[in-house]
Amino acid sequence: MATSSGKRSLKTFYYSWGILTVVGVLLAIWIPKRYMPHMMSNDGNLSVTTMILFSVLAAPVAAGVYAAAIHVLRHDRYKGDGVPPAAEQVRENTKLTVTWLTVSAVLTVFVLVWGLGALAAENSSSGNPLVVDVTGQQWVWTFAYPGTHVVSNELIVPDHREVEFRVTSVDVTHGFWVVNFGVQVDANPGTITTIHTTPDKLGTIEVRCEQFCGLNHAFMDAVGHVVTPSQFSAWLASQPARA
Amino acid sequence: MTTTLEHTETSAEPRGGGLARYQNFGTAVVAGVIFAWIGWFIARKLFWSSSDNFSDQVATMTAVGWMIGFWIGIGAFNAPFRWLLGNDNSRDDDLYYAGYKQGRARYWKYTTDHKVVGVQYIIVTMSLLGVGGILAMAIRTELIVPGTHFVNQQVYNSFIAIHGMVMILALIVAVAGPWGNFVMPIMVGARDMAFPRLNALSLWTLVSAAVLLVTVLAVGGLPVGWVVLGTIADQAGVGMDFFAMAIVVFTVSTTVASINLITTVITMRTKGMTLDRLPIFVWGTIITAVLALYAFPFFFVAELNQLLDRTASTSFYIAAGGGTSWLQANLFWLMGHPEVYVILIPAVAALFEISSTMARKPLFSYRTAVGAMVALSGLSALVWAHHMFTSGWAPTLGGPFMVTTELISIPTGIFFLVLVGTLWRGNVWMKLPTIWMFGFIFNFIIGGVTGIYLSDVPLDEQLHGTMFVTAHFHYIFVGSVLFGAIAALAYWFPKVTGRYLDERMGRYSFWLVFIGVQITFGAMFLSGLKGMPRRDASYSLAFEHTNFISTLGAYIIMSGMLVLLGAVITSWRRGEPSGPNPWHANTLEWQVPTPVPLENFLEEPVITQDPYHYGEELVGQ
Repeated sequence: MATSSGKRSLKTFYYSWGILTVVGVLLAIWIPKRYMPHMMSNDGNLSVTTMILFSVLAAPVAAGVYAAAIHVLRHDRYKGDGVPPAAEQVRENTKLTVTWLTVSAVLTVFVLVWGLGALAAENSSSGNPLVVDVTGQQWVWTFAYPGTHVVSNELIVPDHREVEFRVTSVDVTHGFWVVNFGVQVDANPGTITTIHTTPDKLGTIEVRCEQFCGLNHAFMDAVGHVVTPSQFSAWLASQPARA
Repeated sequence: MTTTLEHTETSAEPRGGGLARYQNFGTAVVAGVIFAWIGWFIARKLFWSSSDNFSDQVATMTAVGWMIGFWIGIGAFNAPFRWLLGNDNSRDDDLYYAGYKQGRARYWKYTTDHKVVGVQYIIVTMSLLGVGGILAMAIRTELIVPGTHFVNQQVYNSFIAIHGMVMILALIVAVAGPWGNFVMPIMVGARDMAFPRLNALSLWTLVSAAVLLVTVLAVGGLPVGWVVLGTIADQAGVGMDFFAMAIVVFTVSTTVASINLITTVITMRTKGMTLDRLPIFVWGTIITAVLALYAFPFFFVAELNQLLDRTASTSFYIAAGGGTSWLQANLFWLMGHPEVYVILIPAVAALFEISSTMARKPLFSYRTAVGAMVALSGLSALVWAHHMFTSGWAPTLGGPFMVTTELISIPTGIFFLVLVGTLWRGNVWMKLPTIWMFGFIFNFIIGGVTGIYLSDVPLDEQLHGTMFVTAHFHYIFVGSVLFGAIAALAYWFPKVTGRYLDERMGRYSFWLVFIGVQITFGAMFLSGLKGMPRRDASYSLAFEHTNFISTLGAYIIMSGMLVLLGAVITSWRRGEPSGPNPWHANTLEWQVPTPVPLENFLEEPVITQDPYHYGEELVGQ
């Protein structure tokens, strides 16, 4: 028990650490795949990958803290009556502190390098994007396609071509979010903000407002589709011109 | 530095006090209402007679009237006014203000004794948690099924704003308020705070602001979210004016309180209380106070600009007038992120104190712990724009702010090292404070790890604005800070009341709240991952199951909190007597009698070593 100094068995700690790490890693892989939306762009795929990667890295760290706590609960709990006697008066363990700091610093640097790399990749542009002008107003989204007369409440984009959203608002701040693309940016009145991504799968996409914008904020949704380039041209041509 | 009242020689009934003898919370409310009406009358009849009955100007004047009336009514101006007239308070007056021999009545008055102020902070915190909790239950009830059934969208939107801000206020004061005031001065061996009247002022300005904040619900609400982003706030009714005025006064309250705490620790430590012998909770309190001093002025300016935009035709945030909502967002988060650590650090520091006492071991890596708290507060001043990754403001700064934000995980990790390191090989006494501490360790890991996802810009562009964020910071605020605050309450309750907080009810409460938190916010993570935005009054069928589970969990949390409330009330009245030092701790607050006498110490204590030596006696008094 805790009162006897010297070596003691760390079985509880190591077993709990091992088991919890395995459980954590399994959850880290299963939950994002099961619960994140069906991703249909490079940025969307990247957010699922990042989610899994970070969770897998976090699993052994979190499991280590939990295992230590479990060990304490099992072996260091005072089981007698009354006030527990003083424990061994340990104040420092330089080796442990330095190890802990090193491990957390290394993990942080890894997470940073990964994040900065992903950010750079996300910010790089192919140079010939399809531009979509997005306008938020309480509580609808409209999508205009510059160079055409098309203005739509549905977001239609072709696959495998970079699309650049130029986003603004006519009233309050909205949050333009294409759920299945993993990109979002605020729609601010009087300013144009941009974000770009490249769709890589065909199918239905959802647009939501993620910045609180008043009474019907919860219902400020739009739907859209990722279609083939030829379907996209056909769709553009079939749209009636609006002012 | 310490001035003493020398009350031992005074007659049993001090004759001082003057006007203060007739003033209390009741007269403050009455005077507040009268002056609010005067403010309304002046604004409506004299200045803006062409405007609506309740325009922004009129509402602002009404709120100002309430504040001034409340402060006059409670007695905040008595002493300064007498001083101006060259007729300063006598010793008898000061004794009266300190609450000497006034029994329970002093808790309702402008009392300067730091222990009374501490108890008043407990009551204010519990009241705010009550209001915020009722709103939380209303929100979860609305979200139990898709569609708007329980409250309409307008009401729901107001509830989320007031729930958010009331809870933020409650948590800012939850640990630093009660224990920074009640135990911290005793811990450093002081007879009171450095500025006892300012101490009362910080408490009662907080009360006046909190009442005004809740009144927002009665004047049309605030259907714009608790962040009150510039452009949407512009569409709000007069609730916004009350809200902004409440925040302006609240920031004054925190500033006054911070200056008081810092000055007390710097100037009023007893003999031998060197900086490296300070109990860790004292370090936590002053680091927090310094951070608050930095952070809250931004909030003051943010809301003052808002008020001026609405009442004086300025255009700080109005695009049409050359302003920008991004200015509001920057000012808000310049406050808003340090504020998270203003909330967190006192709770962590209290748990450090508890871990050492309960494990019968010195705090593990004392200096590293202090260093981590300093590093955390320093970093927290440099991360605000991570709340604006997706706002479109300064996209080039995404990288730098990601760096500062992720560096935070290093000092945060040290908190675990210190806590678990202290418990490791200890003789851990499993009492109520210890149990809540284990709950904290469990939840804070989850809250911490999920924060790393949000600090990653590309991933944040999916998770920002969703219920994932809500779940993340509720694991921090409810799962971690509230658990720490309850541990602190259970730990210091015997010092305040002379009685233990009921162990059995406390444990029931722990299990209910702990399980409730996992269910509610665990399911909320899933809602967010699936793509449910925050602040939505309704949602699509895809989020049906996880929301239903979250609401069930919320009811479990509520029942746990009600059990805790019951434990506090019954234990306060007839709990098991505890004696002056039930945990056999070495910090000074446990060496004085319970109830703690006015001025705390009969003789100034002399400190010869830090308080973390167990198995030997500490202080030669």
